[in-house]
Amino acid sequence: MKPSFTIAANGDSALDIRFDAVPSEDLSRRIIALEQAIEARDWNCIQDLIPAYQCLTICFDPLGCDRAELISDVEALAQKLLTGQPKLAKPSRLIRIPVCYEAEFAPDMPRVSEYTGLSAEEIISRHCAPHYLVHMLGFSPGFLYLGGLDPALHCPRKETPAVSVPAGAVGIGGSQTGIYPQATPGGWQIIGRTPLQLFRPQCQLPFVAEPLDRVEFYPIDRKQFEQSEPNTLEVIPLEPAQ
Amino acid sequence: MSMHFIKAGMQTSIQDLGRTGLMRYGISRGGAADPMAMRLANLLLGNPADTPVLEVTLAGPAIEFQCDIAIAIVGAEFELTLNEEKVEGNEVLQVKRGDTLAFGRLLSGTRAYIAFSGTMDLPRIFDSCGTNLLGGFGGLDGRAIQKGDTIGFTELRTAVTRRLPAAFRLRYSGHPQLRVVTGAEEHLFGKETASNFYSQAYQVLPQSNRMGVRLTGDTLSTEQIPQQVSSGLCPGTIQIPPDGLPIISFVEGQTIGGYPRIAHVISADLHTLGQLKANDRVSFLKVTLEQAREVLAGKFQLLDKVRAHLDS
Repeated sequence: MKPSFTIAANGDSALDIRFDAVPSEDLSRRIIALEQAIEARDWNCIQDLIPAYQCLTICFDPLGCDRAELISDVEALAQKLLTGQPKLAKPSRLIRIPVCYEAEFAPDMPRVSEYTGLSAEEIISRHCAPHYLVHMLGFSPGFLYLGGLDPALHCPRKETPAVSVPAGAVGIGGSQTGIYPQATPGGWQIIGRTPLQLFRPQCQLPFVAEPLDRVEFYPIDRKQFEQSEPNTLEVIPLEPAQ
Repeated sequence: MSMHFIKAGMQTSIQDLGRTGLMRYGISRGGAADPMAMRLANLLLGNPADTPVLEVTLAGPAIEFQCDIAIAIVGAEFELTLNEEKVEGNEVLQVKRGDTLAFGRLLSGTRAYIAFSGTMDLPRIFDSCGTNLLGGFGGLDGRAIQKGDTIGFTELRTAVTRRLPAAFRLRYSGHPQLRVVTGAEEHLFGKETASNFYSQAYQVLPQSNRMGVRLTGDTLSTEQIPQQVSSGLCPGTIQIPPDGLPIISFVEGQTIGGYPRIAHVISADLHTLGQLKANDRVSFLKVTLEQAREVLAGKFQLLDKVRAHLDS
């Protein structure tokens, strides 16, 4: 089904193209296709494109372009792209991320267990089962917004966020799961830690995943955690995108 | 050809005009919190606008120079000394090898910028030398300057001694009126709440930093507002979280947010946020998108005027 959209100001130097549809893989594919199409146009005045669950934000230089013209160009592009199946520039991949769920790295496992009524083993097996969809990156450098958490694992955030959550901490917050790329304060329930570095500014590929990639967690023990190479990424190509 | 930090200051970092095109990866634009002051410092020395500078915050460093170099300090007003003799900001200072520049008491504003007639010897990461303090990259090892650090210079140039005319100097009252445009969710707040927002003088909280400026005042109710689905968040956006107190997203702000947006500080006034500190007062004035663009164009015309004046 073709979603409808609205274009609205997000301040004086950005536009939100907001789609009237619930977040889904289909919607994310359309949003990323639109992002890629805008990028391919190479409009000089566009400084940043931020895809999200239901919205693509276009940041532009207000002195570098005519706002009304930009809106009508983007609108035409969005209309065109929303009919039919979106074409994507890159095939998506499956990224396998090792997680050590042992007690030392999982301070909030007892709380999640109590809330969900599931044993730690069951939580781990359900957490490792899905191929999560990367809807977008954002919040902080390299943070992945993942879709597809098992509803049985939904768990409220902490009322008082932890002062510092270590980099690599894997958590559950509401209906979301994710990994903290940097040591920051955080309100999610922490159930494990990955030895992988999620944001590697010095590497050729600074981010472990892109929107529309899939992410899978797999359990490792303490010893494997210590021996693991933080910059080695296990990537499996998936069927090429249409 | 280097400078050595005898004292670090509260949060001294290397900045330039930041990075674009990376918000999709969660990387904020970053760069100087007050790019207007930074541009003026570079202008004085005849540098390109995006030449990396030092951003000094609230309490400044003490720097010993190991080469002859010209510098210019613009922005927040500090008591400054060179070898314990009083010197001024807003003008080119000719520094000799062995001289020590020291920052004293802060008189107004929050952040000052030190520009150099040389290029700091630093790697460019994602096409910028700016320090991203949250992401821990850029600048010097991705962090604020520490006591004992040394930064080298390449390509030392000479610069003529000149000063900013008084009419072009930046002044910070500590109670600015920030111009804003209608927030993407303003209509959801209701008329009374919106008018409460515009009639207040909010107080700046000490937790404010390069990520966000936090304000306190009468709380605004968000109870009737449905939860928003997270989407792109730009600097200047004023969000109202459940506690009802506004947060203005700033140069190192999150790139995705989900609290309702009551207003957005216009691009032309963003640099003013860089000079706010705890207990300052801010109020908001709504303008149209067209006015916002005119004010921005006006500020760049002013920079052109300063350049023309300095070069004449």
